[in-house]
Amino acid sequence: MIELLIFFFFAAVAVIFALVVILHRNTVVGALSLVASFFALAVMYVLLDAPFLAALQVIVYAGAIMVLFLFVIMLLNLQHVSEPATRPIQQFLGYSGSAFFGIALVYYIVKYTVLQLPPGPFLSDARLIGVALFEAYIFPFEMVSILLLAAIVGALLLSGRGGQAPSPVRTEVAR
Amino acid sequence: MTIDRVDVVLEVVKILLVVGLLLNVVPIMVWVERRGSALIQDRLGPNRVGPFGLIQSMADALKFILKEDVIPLQANKWLYTLAPLFGLLPALTTIAVVPWGRPFFIPTEVMYGPRVSGACIVGAAVTAILAIVVAGGTAKYHRKPNYSRLNFTIGAIVATALFLVALGLIGVMFGIKAAGALHLPGGGRLFEPIIADVNVGILLIFALASLSVYGITTAGWSSANKFSLFGGIRASAQMISYELSLALSAVSVLMVAGSLRLTDVVAKQTGYFVLFDSVKIPAWNCFSPAIWLAMIVFIVSAFAETNRLPFDFAEAEAELVAGYHTEYSSMKFAMFFMSEYIAMTTMSALVVTLFFGGWDVPWYNEPPTLAGFLLSAIAFLAKVGFVLFVFVWVRWTIPRLKYDILMKIGWKVFLPLAIVNIVLVAWFIAERWI
Repeated sequence: MIELLIFFFFAAVAVIFALVVILHRNTVVGALSLVASFFALAVMYVLLDAPFLAALQVIVYAGAIMVLFLFVIMLLNLQHVSEPATRPIQQFLGYSGSAFFGIALVYYIVKYTVLQLPPGPFLSDARLIGVALFEAYIFPFEMVSILLLAAIVGALLLSGRGGQAPSPVRTEVAR
Repeated sequence: MTIDRVDVVLEVVKILLVVGLLLNVVPIMVWVERRGSALIQDRLGPNRVGPFGLIQSMADALKFILKEDVIPLQANKWLYTLAPLFGLLPALTTIAVVPWGRPFFIPTEVMYGPRVSGACIVGAAVTAILAIVVAGGTAKYHRKPNYSRLNFTIGAIVATALFLVALGLIGVMFGIKAAGALHLPGGGRLFEPIIADVNVGILLIFALASLSVYGITTAGWSSANKFSLFGGIRASAQMISYELSLALSAVSVLMVAGSLRLTDVVAKQTGYFVLFDSVKIPAWNCFSPAIWLAMIVFIVSAFAETNRLPFDFAEAEAELVAGYHTEYSSMKFAMFFMSEYIAMTTMSALVVTLFFGGWDVPWYNEPPTLAGFLLSAIAFLAKVGFVLFVFVWVRWTIPRLKYDILMKIGWKVFLPLAIVNIVLVAWFIAERWI
């Protein structure tokens, strides 16, 4: 009973703040709402007996990624960005396209996942998750790490002004 | 698992106790900070209100409540108002997974005897002496030329309250004597002095600690002040950098304990390292040859994570007026103040739990009784108090770094050191040395 109440409260929080993210004009408010939405999502994981996943959700998404987002938004000072006007056809395509994908997503989730969900508890222990990652799923795990490494190298290359590492002298001048 | 009424009552008692203690740490720490800084700088510090200025913090709190609450015209009112809460809530909730004493079996009944009456009389005597000291101090300053009526009133109220507590303790003693024995409803069950013993304990702490930066960042942005904005931006960059080394240095401890649960981390430290078959050293992680490096990284990162000098770049009075809370006044400012000290206390509790044996009393095995629990809780509080004093000590000893140096040592020194320590611990574990 209490679990159900908690679920509906945080489900409402997640949905409302997700709507605020896309509807509010202020980017900082949007970023903070996304944090609230992520937090509500973490509560869902707790209700699903997966506290490990919930903690990681908050640490990685709410605590790290969104802080960087907020950092960039504040640094660029994107407070009063006016959106360029959109044509009606663009609006129609946008709304209908996202509605199509949303309906398709709900349909397939209902059809294939929810009905066959194994009864919990899920992988809630850090040890079990570690064993699964490093034994059964070692190949995808390593692939993801290589992908991230490639992304980091790419970001460094792009920010390094024509492929050169920024020398200390040059940053001094830039400052 | 069934939940009965006694469990709920015990849980509520635990929460009230811990939150009450945390909130009361704030005025005490403000006093320690001001008097401690005075001691270090060879000044007197606030010594007018009450004995040794102990009640100064209460006068300060009253002042905060009575001040006008200003919201800047250009500020984003909602976020400006909510920002102090964003900071305070994570700071208050993090302590829930930290164990603060030895688990013990609640006695079924307390018989009236010399131990009960002795405890009540000693407690009453101590509170009565405190009350007399406060009353005497208040009366003494009453005669001085620079006395204020507010301070006098506060001193009188505190003294009266202490007297009432002393009388209450005597009353409890006679009550138990009249009844013969005090029957406890939760008798026989195990009392675990931790609010939530979850199996992802330390991760929960890092999750909530990582949210605490939003208070500072939001405050900085919503104030519509360039100094505040700089403070907020600095705080977010700093937190991201130091959270990594903080979490990675904690990993070493978790590898030794083999669990994310903080009660397991403490249980692992209650044993002994035996040197030369004769010298027994408590198996606290700070004495472990594999972990001291992580301990240094963790404690320094904790300073950065709680925005304390030498890493308080979000405030940086010399550069940013008052940083993120430049525009804040009244209780909103006081809430930032509170969250700083509460976060500091939580960090100290975490340092003690991870590296200084938690509630463990060295060279002594506490029995699982009420006395053993009290002893271990006092040991825990004493250790936390010491780490808190180190926080104050460092603040008034080491000057603020430069911001680029902060970033440099975060990424280029502490992060590699934490990773090196993980490899070191893995080696020790593989060789079965620990």
